Amino acid sequence: MENFPILAIMTLFVCAFIVSLVGRRNVVVRNVVVTIAVTVPLVMMLCLIPTVFIDGETIVYWLGNWAPEADWAIGICLEVDALSLFFGLIVTVAVFVSGLYSFTYMNHDDSLVNYYTLFLMLSGSVLGLVLSGDLFNIFVMIEIMTFTAVALTAFRNTYEGALEGAFKYLAVGSLGSTCVLLGVAMLYSQLHTLNLAQVSALLSSQGTNPVTIAAFAFLFIGFGSKAFLFPFQPLAADAHAVAPASISLMISGVLTKCGVYGIIRLVYVLYQNYDQPIVQYLVTGFGAISMFVCVTMAFNQHNFKRLLAFHSISQVGYVITAVGLGSILGVGAGLYHAMNHTIFKGLLFLTAGAVQHQTGSLDLDRLGGLGKRMPKTCLLFLIGAASISGLPPFNGFASKWMIYQAAFLHGVTTGNFYFIFICVVALITSVLTLASFIKVAQSVFFGQLPEEYKDVEEVPLTMRLPMWVLAILCILTGLFPDFIQEKILTPAVNAVFNVMGYIDAAMGTGYAAASGVTAAGIEGIAVTGTWSPTSWLMLLFCITCAVAIVFLLASPDDKQKGLPVSSADETAQPLDAKYEPFFSGEEAVYSQVGGSDLFWGFKHNWRRYFHFMHDWHSGIVNDYALYGVVAIAFVLLFCIVLL
Amino acid sequence: MMIVNYIGAFALIVLGIYCMVVKHNLIKTVIGIGLVDYGANLLIVSVGFNDGGTAPIFNLEELTQSSFFVDPVPQALTLTSIVIGACTTAMSLCLVIMIHEQYGTLDTRKIRRLNG
Repeated sequence: MENFPILAIMTLFVCAFIVSLVGRRNVVVRNVVVTIAVTVPLVMMLCLIPTVFIDGETIVYWLGNWAPEADWAIGICLEVDALSLFFGLIVTVAVFVSGLYSFTYMNHDDSLVNYYTLFLMLSGSVLGLVLSGDLFNIFVMIEIMTFTAVALTAFRNTYEGALEGAFKYLAVGSLGSTCVLLGVAMLYSQLHTLNLAQVSALLSSQGTNPVTIAAFAFLFIGFGSKAFLFPFQPLAADAHAVAPASISLMISGVLTKCGVYGIIRLVYVLYQNYDQPIVQYLVTGFGAISMFVCVTMAFNQHNFKRLLAFHSISQVGYVITAVGLGSILGVGAGLYHAMNHTIFKGLLFLTAGAVQHQTGSLDLDRLGGLGKRMPKTCLLFLIGAASISGLPPFNGFASKWMIYQAAFLHGVTTGNFYFIFICVVALITSVLTLASFIKVAQSVFFGQLPEEYKDVEEVPLTMRLPMWVLAILCILTGLFPDFIQEKILTPAVNAVFNVMGYIDAAMGTGYAAASGVTAAGIEGIAVTGTWSPTSWLMLLFCITCAVAIVFLLASPDDKQKGLPVSSADETAQPLDAKYEPFFSGEEAVYSQVGGSDLFWGFKHNWRRYFHFMHDWHSGIVNDYALYGVVAIAFVLLFCIVLL
Repeated sequence: MMIVNYIGAFALIVLGIYCMVVKHNLIKTVIGIGLVDYGANLLIVSVGFNDGGTAPIFNLEELTQSSFFVDPVPQALTLTSIVIGACTTAMSLCLVIMIHEQYGTLDTRKIRRLNG
């Protein structure tokens, strides 16, 4: 059992090697190896659930059996507590779904051996990152992750802008990686260890000094850049728009989670400074800015996947905001939303991939009416869109509800208006998300079907199956929030706050107490108003009844009431159509309302902001590097001056 | 003594960042990425240096409490980091070659099809 973490990581890396050896000769062998590689880690992670989640144990594996000697960690270890396993499960599920989807989705492309090799290396590095207990190991895994993600972004290198997106990702991403490296070097210079548990213990026994504070700032911005937080979001948009859909799922669902995981480990376990208001302002501030800026950027987009990319970062902003609150409910809400984000965002990217696979286009201005030709994909898209917009009874609502509660409660208990403001921003962002997805649904699946897509067919079952897995997960995690909270979130949140257990598992019992880390545990996530699906069903039933009664009671004459009568004769009839409910275009004049025209009033009123943001995302790599550097400088100054 | 190294490391990083932010040529951007990497490497290897220490190569009999040697861990880290830096440079140069084939230019101001 304690060998499962290393075996899961090794399976992915070794299979990547095997695929490149044998995959060129035989397609069947290649697909079998890839299937094994994506299934085995998932099964292993599932096998760890009883030990880690239920018994609450922490699995520590010392590579080469280099256990700590004289209370000094000299070896490299994998340390799997409930938090690591939580993210490990997210990663392996996403890898599994993405791998299965690739088989059919990538069948138009060639040199697939390279694709699968890189894909498995990416999966292995991400799994290695979340299971690792060593700082430098985390840095190496981040670098492998960035390289393979860049290579996969540029995989369709004849695609418009693919190389450009990949280069920007590599250049500005390497700035983020260097920040992580600098942070690691500074921590090592002060503490002379790289083991996460020992770093945490030494930091609490020695206290912080300016160098470790600077290391905190560098590590924070480094992990933040891997989660594509503001101002790194242009990279995500560029990379997503040009990468294959299965890789978009990985970038959005898995790579951003690595950044989230890193920030949680950094703030809660390494520095344990989550209860300082300054750190809370910093983390929630970055999260809130990311979620608002990205959701408004999504309004301007004309590319399906680029739009989804901005929404992805917006939702990661929610996660970071909730995590930054430093309360038990906040961490629970953040982890719940992180899990849900992988599920619904993966589903949406896969539906975008299905549209691209069948029509060859992602242009929102050219697509339309595909709901008639691809009804099953349309249904899947609507499930995903309802989830991300936070509509009950899907999972997005359950987790966003917890985030609103956490932010508001934190604002009330601390008496700080800032956190109430954050809660309002989160609510507004959710409304804008819904509006934006109405636009996408209108542009792609409803409206009129262009001539060129008259013969588009539904995607094959092999592509729909992975999407259904995610859609069913969307519904299940939304319908049973109590179960999720009790069985999955509570152990993970417990692990976040139980630093003593984390240190003792690696360094031997008593080490944490000697370093002055006190025991902390939580009883459970105290949600003030748990969402109950049944009461919402009741409400829905009542509203339906009310609407039905209104319709039944209304006589045909009443429906004409309120219309201005221009003239009494029959010619006034066409004018009446003007006052009927307006959905999408006038059938009479055969006009189509484009998706980008749907919210023209809103966009007109905010035109200055939209123009500014459009120019701000200039597409020039120098500008993006400048934003990154400014963010690094800001966080560095903020931390050193105020912490 | 080591303060010179630290100043040098951060000077290299700042120069690299300057190169990335100001220069409008893709090759120069790649050089900037490289410089930032070298600065970080210099910083790590300086962190583990002990003035007057010997090379950290001992067998178990020779190792005593009084042995004074430089810290071997940062050297291992630097080696790893150098390899990663070489990969970054190689990969970004590959991308630059292909971008030049497709766009016919290396000016970053003209390579902005993905924007807004």
